[in-house]
Amino acid sequence: MCDTCGCGSDSTTFRKHGADHHHGDGHHHDHAHDHSHEHNHSHDRTIAIEQDILGENNLLAQRNRGYFEAKNVFAINLVSSPGSGKTTLLEKTLATLKEEIPSAVIEGDQQTMNDADRIAKTGVPVLQINTGNGCHLDAEMIHTAYGELKLQDNSALFIENVGNLVCPALFDLGEDKRVVVISVTEGEDKPLKYPTMFDAADICIINKIDLLPYVQFDVEKCKEYALQVNHHLQFFEVSATTGEGMETWYNWLKEMLKK
Amino acid sequence: MHEMSIAMNIISIACKEAEKDGASSISNIELEVGKLSGVMIDSLNFCYESVCKGTLAENSTLSINEVTARASCKKCNHTFEIDSFMALCPKCESYEIDILQGRELKLRAVSVN
Repeated sequence: MCDTCGCGSDSTTFRKHGADHHHGDGHHHDHAHDHSHEHNHSHDRTIAIEQDILGENNLLAQRNRGYFEAKNVFAINLVSSPGSGKTTLLEKTLATLKEEIPSAVIEGDQQTMNDADRIAKTGVPVLQINTGNGCHLDAEMIHTAYGELKLQDNSALFIENVGNLVCPALFDLGEDKRVVVISVTEGEDKPLKYPTMFDAADICIINKIDLLPYVQFDVEKCKEYALQVNHHLQFFEVSATTGEGMETWYNWLKEMLKK
Repeated sequence: MHEMSIAMNIISIACKEAEKDGASSISNIELEVGKLSGVMIDSLNFCYESVCKGTLAENSTLSINEVTARASCKKCNHTFEIDSFMALCPKCESYEIDILQGRELKLRAVSVN
């Protein structure tokens, strides 16, 4: 925790499966000096700035994007509320495609190595980012993480964001596609309740469709709501557990990798 | 609580510019926040108060100009004001609209002395 502003940015840790952790050096914002300057201006004056408040993150995201483009890495940012099945979706996807598509995974959670440990079992390189108190991943964390992962050319990078349907919406990581996952055990009106996230996504995966007979979730209604928020959204209806619908998702991934 | 990160970015940009200018303190920071920016203004004000302590911007005020959101209909080209992402075109009732403004999150100016 930084003494001056109280921010938690240096509580972020980066850990490889089975390795010691280290803290990120991502604390770049400036603090004011504790001494006064000699300049003696007697009047208030206004400095025009006209800068995007998230400009620094956006710039770093563009740098990440440039790096991914140069190495032909297809980067996906997976966002959802906690418990929608992002990690299971990833486990199944990696287990099925790892021979065909070289992949790497960045896991984001406030605490624990649990998700990275699960992914590591598939044999795919994974790095866990623990954000501490942070509610989202940012472009700088991704930059540090892929530096450690040593991405292969012509590969896929899956970034599993912190489970949170609000905050990650605003932070571009430099990904090619943002995928929002919703499971049928949630309400079908999630797109209406959290429109900013659905507006910022390219793809919507409706997961756990094997449970549809047991829950009151209207898939068509959910899609209609999501399209009201963002008419560009493309949908996949899957069950990561039973494999239903996963083939279409795999084919889409393979198509994207070819581009 | 992404408003905390946003408040920290605001202070960071404002202090950098104020220091460059040789200012001894910041009295006001002017923002432009779009209605669909995903930022809660009350929450931003709350975070700002704690983040500005111990910086050039301590005791400064935050002026927030809220930008209304506007969209144009892809079907009939009508442009109109909206207050959410789920808006319908008032003319042809289509949901296929493109958002023209309302996502702004901008630091416009800093008043210093």
